[in-house]
Amino acid sequence: MAKENQIKLINQKLSEYSHSLLSSDHDPLFLVEESDLVNICKILKTDNELDYSILIDICAVDYLTYGQADWVTNEATKTGYSRAVEQKIIADDDDEFPDRFAIFYQLLSISNNSRITLKTFTTKSNPPSVPSINKIWNSANWFEREAFDLMGVHFKGHPDLRRILTDYGFIGHPFRKDFPTNGNLEVTYDEDEEKVVYKPVSITTRPSVPRVIRKDND
Amino acid sequence: MGLKKNNDDLIVQQGPGFVTTSVDKLVNWARTGSMWPVTLGLACCGIEMMHSAASRYDTDRFGVFYRPSPRQSDVMIVAGTLCNKMAPPLRKIYDQMAEPKWVISMGSCANGGGYYHHSYSVVRGCDQIIPVDVYVPGCPPTAEALINGIIELQEKIRSEESIANG
Repeated sequence: MAKENQIKLINQKLSEYSHSLLSSDHDPLFLVEESDLVNICKILKTDNELDYSILIDICAVDYLTYGQADWVTNEATKTGYSRAVEQKIIADDDDEFPDRFAIFYQLLSISNNSRITLKTFTTKSNPPSVPSINKIWNSANWFEREAFDLMGVHFKGHPDLRRILTDYGFIGHPFRKDFPTNGNLEVTYDEDEEKVVYKPVSITTRPSVPRVIRKDND
Repeated sequence: MGLKKNNDDLIVQQGPGFVTTSVDKLVNWARTGSMWPVTLGLACCGIEMMHSAASRYDTDRFGVFYRPSPRQSDVMIVAGTLCNKMAPPLRKIYDQMAEPKWVISMGSCANGGGYYHHSYSVVRGCDQIIPVDVYVPGCPPTAEALINGIIELQEKIRSEESIANG
């Protein structure tokens, strides 16, 4: 099915929910409301004409520093760029950046040979949350756990929302833009206790300095 | 009769250390000829470790024969990035190995964190967790480099005097 027809069909099927087409350059990208997410996903999966039977992946994006280019060629060669060195701490219920986290859902319809992406912003509360779609696609289980682990987004209604990748007892969400790249703890073996112990991280964060000499850099 | 007399003469000539150092040589010959590493491929270095064990490089020639259990192993080849979460199991595996035991740290990540030195989740060198005998540089080291590390470890074992030094 041609992409234009597919977009038309989706617009028609989702007409009772607010949604907008953000991009159709590649696979169509739809922005939907967090409160409508479960209903929209149900339609996309169960409708016979749409038939988005497979959830390929769930991604979480942190828009905290979106659009702030910190690697400008001329200056960065002299000063380095300091991403995640100078931390910006976000207070609870910060109104300064309400649409901080977005979740992306990649869907595939085998019968239509069609892929679409859904984008939804999380709730503005702390912690940010979206409803779980685990009951619609079972494959969402570990994707949502991963997004929770690394970004700290809560998926309401998830049957087993535990960390999946980071260390046992890990504190923080490492893929957030305000998480220090060096982390907070490091492990070492303690001869006296005869076990592996945690201690505060011993190295300091520093800006990485790209030694790039280019024509446009005087 | 004559043979015995000659041996006594030899011991007198060489001093009392002759017997113990000869036993050491025998023991070290046995140890270097059958270094069985515990299979510990943690990342891409594990692939190179497999290459070294496969038919082209064939570490079986040195008696290096990968074991699935630390109880049957003499050498631990830490091949790959050691994460914080893997550090306690790694130490446990090392503790379960029977003495005498040696460790080869393979690749930049195991040597000192390497590419992930500034990461929140990676141990900055596996020598933070276990004592290391041989460091093999590279990212990843080639199979030849690992074999060179194995030969270096053999040289190190040959220089040990476990009996003569008590």
